[in-house]
Amino acid sequence: MTTLEATNEYEALEQLHALGCTDGLPVVIPTADRVERMVLATGLDPDMSLGTMGPNQGDCTVEKLAAAAVMAGCLPDHAPVVVAAARAVIDPRFDLTEMQATTHAIAPLIIVNGPARDWCGLHGGFGALGPGYRANASIGRALRLAMINVGGGRSGTSDMALLGHPGKFTMCLGEDEDNSPFVPMHQMLGHDPNDSVVTVVGVDAPQSVICVTDADDPTTPDRMLGSLATALSSVTTNNAALRHGQAAVALNPDHAAVFAEAGHDLVSVRDAIVERAQVSGAALAQSAGVMGKIDPDRSYDCFERPEDLLVFVAGGGGLYSVVFPSWCAGPHRNRAVTVPIEVGQACEIPAFVNLRSEHL
Amino acid sequence: MRDGIRIARRGVPSVSLVTDEFWPQGDFVARSVGMPDAPRVRLPHPVAGTGVERMALVAGDIAQAIIDQLKG
Repeated sequence: MTTLEATNEYEALEQLHALGCTDGLPVVIPTADRVERMVLATGLDPDMSLGTMGPNQGDCTVEKLAAAAVMAGCLPDHAPVVVAAARAVIDPRFDLTEMQATTHAIAPLIIVNGPARDWCGLHGGFGALGPGYRANASIGRALRLAMINVGGGRSGTSDMALLGHPGKFTMCLGEDEDNSPFVPMHQMLGHDPNDSVVTVVGVDAPQSVICVTDADDPTTPDRMLGSLATALSSVTTNNAALRHGQAAVALNPDHAAVFAEAGHDLVSVRDAIVERAQVSGAALAQSAGVMGKIDPDRSYDCFERPEDLLVFVAGGGGLYSVVFPSWCAGPHRNRAVTVPIEVGQACEIPAFVNLRSEHL
Repeated sequence: MRDGIRIARRGVPSVSLVTDEFWPQGDFVARSVGMPDAPRVRLPHPVAGTGVERMALVAGDIAQAIIDQLKG
């Protein structure tokens, strides 16, 4: 790994900005000792390669990733989550190289399940994707900085997103398992509920979907399913125009409770949204987003399989749940990837007790 | 919260109804507009959309608290 020299932290920061190593915001200077401590928190060898990050095909070693985590403001406790997130985007099914290079506005959404949410302080409630939550902000930012400095994704030269979206700075949350009436998403994906797991999916910016509930109206759950499906099958989204990609839905706890009261679980909610997420050929044919030939006399499924839609509970309780449409391109149509968070390899490092306030 | 404070400032007794989830925000708004002790009653969350029967139960639970606040 290249070592830079500077006489003070201000000069070092300006040097990192000038080299294009930041996301445009100030970073914590990744001094050798800070990076070394972050590496120790991963429990992995600094030279260990986690794989290559495109489009630069940079070798993502633990040390380079640790440098990104330091720069992002991560605590050592966050390191295993950052490693799992990096492993997820490196998985070929995620289509990182193509995703970094596309003109589409897409960014990795990191969803954390299990006990890691607690030890990291990951937030899943009100404003979980907004400002104010250190773990959410810094873990997502660490992945972005790795995608810039290891993967080489730089705007205008290798990251060709036409406008981008704010989630390209950071987009990470914990599922609000405590306020969910359902089993957590990672259990639905086949993991033990006591496992800590990261799921990463490349998505558009979150789109708010209004669902006004009425406990006296038995059609409420169906209407909610219809609204969520409509948001994911609008002809303006790639999920309708290109189809058969991945997407995600974040149900707020109030909406999740309405579904639970109606006898739904996460699987049935997911399946019902996917079933309803169809776009008519006539609507597509009249839209500006059509690629290829469209039969105006039939309808098209936006999703190939129910598993192509992630559903989880997050956010504050209220009128709005959120859908995250996606790109639906790349060799694998940018699939979501789930990776367990490994913590057993980390050793106890007493010095960390003081790192939070004094050094990081 | 803000409505209740504005009404109170016009000399009309008022009580704001604030659900659990929004209670901290109620405190914040009350402080920010200079009436930190503005009368308020706590409701369970959610209330909206929970149906007439449930809302009637909530109303029954808090009615006395509203009256008590108005009486000072």
